[in-house]
Amino acid sequence: MAGIIGYGVYIPKFRIEQKDIAIPWGSWAPGEKSVCGADEDVVTMAAEAAGNAMRHAAINPEQIGAIYFGTASSPYIEQYVSPIIGEILGVRPETTRIDYLGSLNSLGNAVLGCLDAIAAKRIKCGLVLGGEDRATAPGTEGDANFGAGAVAMVIGTTGTIADIEDIDTYATLFMDRWRSAKDSWVSNQADYRFDREYGYQTHVAGACKGLLGKLSKKAQDYTYAVFAQPDERIPSLPAKELGIQKGQLAPALASVVGDLGSCSAFISLANVLDKAKPDETILLASYGSGASNAMSLVVRNQIERKRKQLVPLEKYVNRKQNITYISYLRLKEHLKRGPY
Amino acid sequence: MTQPVPASPMYWRFNTEVHRLVGIKCQDCGHISYPRTKICHECGSQNLKEYKLPQRGTIHTFCVNWAPPPQFEPPILPVIVDLEGGGRYGGIMTECGSPDEIKIGTKVEMVFRRMLTDRGLNVYGYKFRLAEEG
Amino acid sequence: MKGKVAVIGVGMIKFGELFDKSLENMIQEAYLNCLKNVEKGIDPKEIKAAWFGQWSGGFIGQGAQGGQSLASMIGNLNLSCSRIENACPTGGDTFRNACLGVASGVYDVVLALGAEKMRDKPSAESLGGAGGGGGAETGNHPSWMMGQGGPAIQAMHATRQMHELGYTMEDFARVAVKNHHNGSLCPYAHYQFEITVERVLNSPVICWPLHLFDCCPQTDGAAAAIVCRADLAKKYTDKPVYVWGSHTGLDHNQLWDRSSFVSQPSVVRAAKGAFEMAGIKPKDVDFAELHDCFTNTELMDIEDVGFARSGEAAKKLKDGEFDMHGKLPINPSGGLKAHGHPIAATGLGQIFEVVTQLREEADKRQVKLKNGIGLQQNVGGPAFGAAVVNILSRSR
Repeated sequence: MAGIIGYGVYIPKFRIEQKDIAIPWGSWAPGEKSVCGADEDVVTMAAEAAGNAMRHAAINPEQIGAIYFGTASSPYIEQYVSPIIGEILGVRPETTRIDYLGSLNSLGNAVLGCLDAIAAKRIKCGLVLGGEDRATAPGTEGDANFGAGAVAMVIGTTGTIADIEDIDTYATLFMDRWRSAKDSWVSNQADYRFDREYGYQTHVAGACKGLLGKLSKKAQDYTYAVFAQPDERIPSLPAKELGIQKGQLAPALASVVGDLGSCSAFISLANVLDKAKPDETILLASYGSGASNAMSLVVRNQIERKRKQLVPLEKYVNRKQNITYISYLRLKEHLKRGPY
Repeated sequence: MTQPVPASPMYWRFNTEVHRLVGIKCQDCGHISYPRTKICHECGSQNLKEYKLPQRGTIHTFCVNWAPPPQFEPPILPVIVDLEGGGRYGGIMTECGSPDEIKIGTKVEMVFRRMLTDRGLNVYGYKFRLAEEG
Repeated sequence: MKGKVAVIGVGMIKFGELFDKSLENMIQEAYLNCLKNVEKGIDPKEIKAAWFGQWSGGFIGQGAQGGQSLASMIGNLNLSCSRIENACPTGGDTFRNACLGVASGVYDVVLALGAEKMRDKPSAESLGGAGGGGGAETGNHPSWMMGQGGPAIQAMHATRQMHELGYTMEDFARVAVKNHHNGSLCPYAHYQFEITVERVLNSPVICWPLHLFDCCPQTDGAAAAIVCRADLAKKYTDKPVYVWGSHTGLDHNQLWDRSSFVSQPSVVRAAKGAFEMAGIKPKDVDFAELHDCFTNTELMDIEDVGFARSGEAAKKLKDGEFDMHGKLPINPSGGLKAHGHPIAATGLGQIFEVVTQLREEADKRQVKLKNGIGLQQNVGGPAFGAAVVNILSRSR
């Protein structure tokens, strides 16, 4: 059985409070969200998360058989970013490097890709990582909600801190968010009830039910339920449908760091693993673009031994500096100096 | 002046040095050179071993540049850093809220950041940020 | 070289922001001034070879300049001519190469000319062009030269001088005050006005700890010298000036290869070589033109050439030792700070000053001569690893 050997996260230092975003645009949401510095993007954030994951896993880069990079915020339409991570780590040229792009389920699919390659015995160990810093325009949903962060997981069969018992997908044709190749912002149809219930809830609950059926388990059996968090309250929709209690739901992060897109479920998983004890169980579901991947995890004894190498999410959450909306606009390049 | 672009051979040639900080340590005089070289810059010896630059260190010297090249927003903070365990690296600070946060001896660590973008293609490399305690 | 080479004529134009003059205009004026300066006259055809100092060709948009540029611009196509580019020491090194041409016995009379057009670009961009932190190998790779132009590199030295030697921003400012005073007496200087320590410290911070008035300006200019066989010198002038020592000193290409930031080993090496060649000691020198691209640099130069021990330059400066009428006048021309720094012309402008002083033709800024020996020095390049020192004397 494959599982997580080590993991790492990264959240940029800068935060903007929702009340500051509300100055020009009116009120949106509680809390604050993370913002990339001027020299940061998904590659730099994932690079730090990957370093943390490799140190936590305590494995040699030569052992990495494949790198799977999942993001909806790649700087490129053509050109992968996973080779940059490969170069930083110094993996072998034989190491496969694949980007999973263009969907908020891209990191969920990257995990699936890695598990498939391990199951097919093509690789023994893979690095799955992702980052998000999605394109926004001033005054849009993304301006208020999209945060920035990255997560990396070394997945393999030996020395795991949490085993992945199984993974299952639930996917239909459902288009709730999109960004055309010509747009520099994410669009949505802003029909929130339709998106939340027929999009998020249907697919997350669908993937979990399929997985639970295969494993003959009940959602209530799990210590934690970790679902993607486009906002704070939305995980409660599939939770209710699946009979999950409030205490099982992973702590809310959306009002702390913002909506982390395809990384959301996995950064939330990292947050849970930071404190999890051996034999605890986790039901995880990613969601994006009408697709959800559900995973069942069991925490192993190794987790305690590896904690001294761990850089917890808390460190990045606490390491913060608040910026003004004007600074934010400049960082996002929505406000640019004219030629002079 | 025309600069080589990020997709050029010059950038490609330095991939290992830029991404993995590979230099050399002279086995005769102990001098650490970066990027890699075949002859020690200090003594001319060819008796060299590859040396990966440590990513933490203390500021040896710095300045606060209020008149940087046009693509930067002032101020930028160039630093020369004495790396823990040997070697020096010159770079700039990132995430530094105020120039008052750094002085000679301040502990810093390298972070991988975007250096420039040319026609949409990014060039990455290491900068420094204030190191966490411990 | 000692005793073999003499300077028989020097010429330059007023340095400044010469928006109305092209590179060719400046070269021609400096050249004609230089011919006129040969006391007993010279037929240009007697000049068989030339060395052309040009640093910015290609950088600032004049296109690449080569030896042909000079030969064509002065209408002497029979010249044998090479371009010299050796960073900020380009001017001093162009002079050195011309001297070597004569000392080798190949040529009798040769020309050294340096010219630079800095201000066809806004000064910030021109400064950017001048700011190569990367070495020959790493070029301008962004990983290694982010924001490391000349001001940043020297400011990082200044930070260290303050830390290790206890120097202060007032100490740096006093260099500017002295050099502006000297410049106010020099008709060729870019800036001919006096300043105060307060004005320096109240000027905008360019690169902390350096203020605007700690930095040399971006200047256009040209300067030239005609050198010939020492035994032929009296044919051209009754006041020849002889070259006693000339040496380039070098150091690492990369700033982080450097061991110290309170001294520039390139200058130490250049001075050592030149003094050995001349067979004299620093105390024998009457005055010096040093490379004060930044005020803190002059303090380092003074120490590295050997005019003061490390950490003592600031006090000696404060005590007036380096003033125009002090024990050892430094930069009577106003230095790069007030006189200007048109890179390839800078060193030859300093040679002009040294020769003019040794001939006692410097008018209001004339220094007192004892041994009749003057010294010229430049430093620059990536990581300030290139330096040149020339030592000139009234006697052969």
